[in-house]
Amino acid sequence: MAINHQKTTEMAKELFREERSLMRLDGWFLSKEIGMKYEHETEGMSKMRRTAYLLKKIAAELPISISDNAVFAGTQRDAFARSYALINPAFRVETFSGYCDPTAVFGDIEPNEDITQERLDTVKAHDKETDYIKELTKVYDAAENYTKEVAFFVEQVTGHVIPDMRHALKVGVNEMKREIEANMQKTDDAERIDAYKAMLDSLDAVIIFAARYREIALEKAVGDKAEQFNRLADALARVPAEGARNLFEAIQSFILMWQVMCLEQAPNPFAFSVGNADRIFEPYRAMDNLSREDAAALFKHLLVFYNVADRSWAISQNLIVGGKDTEGNDLTNLCSYALLDAYYDMNLPQPILSVKLHKNTPDKLYEELGRFFFTPGCLTPSLFNDDSVFEVLRNAGVAECDLADYSIAGCQEPLIMGKDNANTTNSWLNLGKILELTLSDGVSTITGDRILPATGDDAITILKNLRERFYANCQFIIKEMTKSANGASRALSNLPVPFLSTLMGGIQSGYDMRDPVHQGTPYNGSGCLIHGLSIVADSFIAVDTLLEERPEDAERLIKALANDFAGDDELHEYLLGCKKYGNNIAVVDDEAAEVASKVADMVAAEKNYLGNPFRPDFSSPSTHLTYGYWVGALPDGRKAREMMNYGVDPLFGDAHQGLGFRVLSSFKLPYIKMNGGFASHFGIDPNYFTGATYEEKGIEFKNKVMRQFFFNPLNDKLAPFYLYVNVTTPEMLRKVLANPKKYAPSGVYIMRIHGTFVNFLDLSPAIQQDIIKRLDLKSTTLEC
Amino acid sequence: MTIKYFQKGFNYSQDGPGNRLVYHLHGCNMKCPWCSNPEGMKADAAYPAFPITQVTVEDMLSEIISCKPMFFDGGGVTLTGGEVTLQADAVRELLKRLKDEGINTAIETNAMSPALPTLFPFLDHLIMDVKSADEDKLLSVAGGVLYPILKNLKAAVDAKLDILVHVPLINGFNADEDATDKLLQALLPFKDDIRIEFLAYHEYGKDKWKQCGLVYAMENANISTECYKKTVSKFKAAGFTAVRT
Ligand code: SF4
Repeated sequence: MAINHQKTTEMAKELFREERSLMRLDGWFLSKEIGMKYEHETEGMSKMRRTAYLLKKIAAELPISISDNAVFAGTQRDAFARSYALINPAFRVETFSGYCDPTAVFGDIEPNEDITQERLDTVKAHDKETDYIKELTKVYDAAENYTKEVAFFVEQVTGHVIPDMRHALKVGVNEMKREIEANMQKTDDAERIDAYKAMLDSLDAVIIFAARYREIALEKAVGDKAEQFNRLADALARVPAEGARNLFEAIQSFILMWQVMCLEQAPNPFAFSVGNADRIFEPYRAMDNLSREDAAALFKHLLVFYNVADRSWAISQNLIVGGKDTEGNDLTNLCSYALLDAYYDMNLPQPILSVKLHKNTPDKLYEELGRFFFTPGCLTPSLFNDDSVFEVLRNAGVAECDLADYSIAGCQEPLIMGKDNANTTNSWLNLGKILELTLSDGVSTITGDRILPATGDDAITILKNLRERFYANCQFIIKEMTKSANGASRALSNLPVPFLSTLMGGIQSGYDMRDPVHQGTPYNGSGCLIHGLSIVADSFIAVDTLLEERPEDAERLIKALANDFAGDDELHEYLLGCKKYGNNIAVVDDEAAEVASKVADMVAAEKNYLGNPFRPDFSSPSTHLTYGYWVGALPDGRKAREMMNYGVDPLFGDAHQGLGFRVLSSFKLPYIKMNGGFASHFGIDPNYFTGATYEEKGIEFKNKVMRQFFFNPLNDKLAPFYLYVNVTTPEMLRKVLANPKKYAPSGVYIMRIHGTFVNFLDLSPAIQQDIIKRLDLKSTTLEC
Repeated sequence: MTIKYFQKGFNYSQDGPGNRLVYHLHGCNMKCPWCSNPEGMKADAAYPAFPITQVTVEDMLSEIISCKPMFFDGGGVTLTGGEVTLQADAVRELLKRLKDEGINTAIETNAMSPALPTLFPFLDHLIMDVKSADEDKLLSVAGGVLYPILKNLKAAVDAKLDILVHVPLINGFNADEDATDKLLQALLPFKDDIRIEFLAYHEYGKDKWKQCGLVYAMENANISTECYKKTVSKFKAAGFTAVRT
């Protein structure tokens, strides 16, 4: 197939500009309205059948169009609302509330003459009466004592899995339907037969979309647009019904499948992820031996598909390249590099790029990555260490044959593509808050509310038994948290996902992916994001130091914490001067390792709604900031309402010896237990890299950063497996903010916050300042 | 015994092989106006922006030992400056203990001190500057004396050390034809026993001079790529091993 890569690229860029000019996202609401309209026709159907039935109606009636600049048909616009707080300029840390209203999303649409407040209210009122919302509301109500100041938080997890599209691309939806029918014949279990019927129906939705898009394409195929739209119409006549025969058809098939998958979960199924796109698409590129340039041009349109409206609202959708197989062979291919080319040239805020590395990753990949790290305002990939991830997953029970298929859902959670329903963001644990409550004998020092029962003990008793009590409180909170989290998952099972289930092992299991009783996917778990690791470890050491050096100040400490150190600067300074994690100081590093280990064990001992373990995930996707706002002063010297440490990183400013020392501290953490993932970030000053070209700098980056952190041959422990970086300086970012026209003429200046990347200029001011602060360049100094 | 340093950090393959922990020791016996670490130049001066750390040899040793997992790819410790030999006794003790621990050692020195050879038995790598072979210029501009430098170089060669000679190439000081010819002649007897690396002038230290309240007097000191290449070619043609780390 002939591709004019220059023209195709220009069209992709124009298409992105069009997308960014969209200020409204009403599709999710319209789809709900269509569902409501036809609900009466579903009387007597199971929830799964009903979902599939309504999905077809939505596919038939939702308004659709194809841009003149599109080479592919399809959008995920109709699945997302303008909701995601961090890229909302109105977001303030102070407005974050732990308590959650599941119908708040209706507030994200500005009523107008067409979509009136009345229409919005009608659907909202209807939603409120659904089993899902009623059950979920009950869960939130029951947990309010703990969630209002975020001792923990829970959520029902939509999105956040990696569908396996390979089979669908290869054989097509018609063949999938035949497989379902064949499996249906093999069972007499009524429940499974019903589920299979729902899956069959749901797959029709994508066929309906394809036919409707084809009609539009044919209408548009006139004049100088004839070739472009005839090609599209031809592809739509073939896919996704049948298997793809080249890269063009494969991408088209993929896009439509993705569209329906998201629509099924509207609104806001964040963080669905692609997986190893290079491995998915390479067989099709090879079919007509498309060049790297031509493949990159088509991929540019795929990338634009992941950007929704003015702020790219569909956040945290992750695309991966690179990696190895279980024999250690590198799996990078031509599509890996074509995808990198597409990313670099487009520099879009979504989808997130991740790169899997391993100790035998070819230098060529590092060379090609150099341009991402060292071009100011360019997106940077997050980096995964296959050598470690394989070990972690193996240890968690993942079969050998599935290891190479791990991918990242959202920011950093490693799951098996097409097989793992991990409910990754199901629960959120706030160790900082638990420590505060332990020290204050159960009363919030933020609001004065009692959250945990009192013991009535004096300061010295509390401090002397601090660890024991902290862990006991952790145990108690974790039990409450997992109870609520399972409640949220069960509530969500009222919204089955037959379409997605066909891409997640449902064709084999005969169950919905969200089935709360039968496991629909080969792997299942529930995530727990654990916050505040290093500040707790630092606090323990500070308390030890105080008890040893000035035990008479025990009561003074408790009072100072309650008063946020007001009037006690001396004690505050003393505590700040105590040893801190991140400087390669054994006593405090070992403490951090122990906190991580103990808490991870407690979390992993809890069972989810299907009896599978919760997965400890030491990451804090900007919640170190929002949850930190609800945490009082702590003995490490951190003041009330300040941010907590990010992921497994030291609190900003605490690690000041430079990169090697910080890395040595990080080696001590028990990564093997972090099977839900973890987060770590290095802000790095580009001036340490002196290579003359991007390629040389890429190799320098490998040698100076990645070799020591991921692939250090002298590290005898399991090495860290995740890192994202921002290679810049605070001065540079301040310049960008002060003069965006000069430093980011395109209006896009990509930065990373936690696992995702964002347009720095789109962020709320609080998050912009957080990024600048957390560059924390003192913790990553190198010699030069 | 204590050691004073003003900066430390890791680097890869730049101040010796592999990944290395580099300490910048305080004080220097020269006064190069291009120095990129002016905060460490004067042994008797301290600048608030650049605190000096003073530690016992024992504490420094434990810190280094705790960093062992970082010394991969043949890495280890590099002591640089300022000028290492100003604290020769403590440095010797430290290097000796490092060798006992099996840790790879390197120093980077201006090579002017007679104490330098006393460190040789404990060194895996010697990186030494020969900034100019023009005695007058070396003395008047940088406060250096050529004779002991060449004497130390000879001693290092005799001791069969792994030697890397650093030459900063600075316009107006040592980059013209005459100067490089002179340098070539001075180093020629050692050409088979050393590697040589030319370092093009840069302004890295400029801001620090300001922060220290000192005047940065360098002007028009940059050299062209052409000049750099020409110099390297000249030395290569004469049989030197020129490297770039
Ligand atoms: S010898 Fe080195 S440290 Fe001393 S003044 Fe010269 S450049 Fe600076």
